[in-house]
Amino acid sequence: MMKGRALKVAVSAQCASRRTVLLAAFAIPFGYSVKALSAAPKKQVQLDIASDGDLLAFKPDQLTCPTRAAVHLTFTHTGKYITQDHNWVLTVPGAAEAVAQAAMAAEEHSGWTPRGDKRVLAATPPCGKGQHVSVDFTAPAPGDYPFLCTTPGHGAVMHGILHVTPN
Amino acid sequence: MFRTRSSLVITGLLASLFAAAALAADLQSPDMVKMGLHILAGVYGDMDRKLAAEQYDRLPHENQEFQEGSGALRDAVAHEPAAFKGKVEADLKETLAAAQKVADTSKTHDKTQVSAALAALASSMKTLNALFPEALRAEPGTVDPPWMQHGGKAPPPNK
Repeated sequence: MMKGRALKVAVSAQCASRRTVLLAAFAIPFGYSVKALSAAPKKQVQLDIASDGDLLAFKPDQLTCPTRAAVHLTFTHTGKYITQDHNWVLTVPGAAEAVAQAAMAAEEHSGWTPRGDKRVLAATPPCGKGQHVSVDFTAPAPGDYPFLCTTPGHGAVMHGILHVTPN
Repeated sequence: MFRTRSSLVITGLLASLFAAAALAADLQSPDMVKMGLHILAGVYGDMDRKLAAEQYDRLPHENQEFQEGSGALRDAVAHEPAAFKGKVEADLKETLAAAQKVADTSKTHDKTQVSAALAALASSMKTLNALFPEALRAEPGTVDPPWMQHGGKAPPPNK
């Protein structure tokens, strides 16, 4: 009798530990997914920007979005006369000039964008006159991030700032 | 004799000033003229930067932009009196020829030759600008200062 009770206790203890293991097995990924959810973008933000007609400038040249927002940016080439493509490239602070230089080396077939360059945070494909292109990205940490057109020679004057605000 | 000449010169200068002021008031599309001249000056600035960086192979592209961009000025003066339009067309033709020369010379990859061609372009652009009131002009080398002045960091908030 005692033997049977002891066995029952042992079995229930074994079950309990199995349950714990099972619970833990479910809890660990759940915990991660909770973490992942908390790190996920909080807001959907649409940003629109264009070339200033045929001038080498963005209009507007200042954009704002909250940090970690899921940004959908649309760039429109509003030029009427000049057929040269433009693009919109977001870089880490202080790297715009270097990215413009790297874009020169990247050449036209790569859309004048240095692929895999960690200083580039987001980039649209090249955009022809009268067309529009888009890019999706997650807004980085709060701060001021330069953006530019990396078509050779354009970045020196065709640029602006993305102000990323705290939530 | 001397006084008569001086009077004539002063009268001539005053007449030119009045003519320029009258032109400013009379232009059909002053904003379009301003934009047209700014486009050309902007492309000129781009050419200048390409030359400084010795990117000779890009200069023909800039010339293409210059030729295309000239359409803005043509459209801007399309409804002006024929005499004035003719004068603009003539000066613009010379300016476009000078831009083409920059592209042609760029094939030599000779900085001295390309610099001379660019200087000739600047000169013809000044002549073209002089046809318009000062407020509308965009002299070569005066628009779109490059952000390199800001060390490639954050450009000024409102340029």
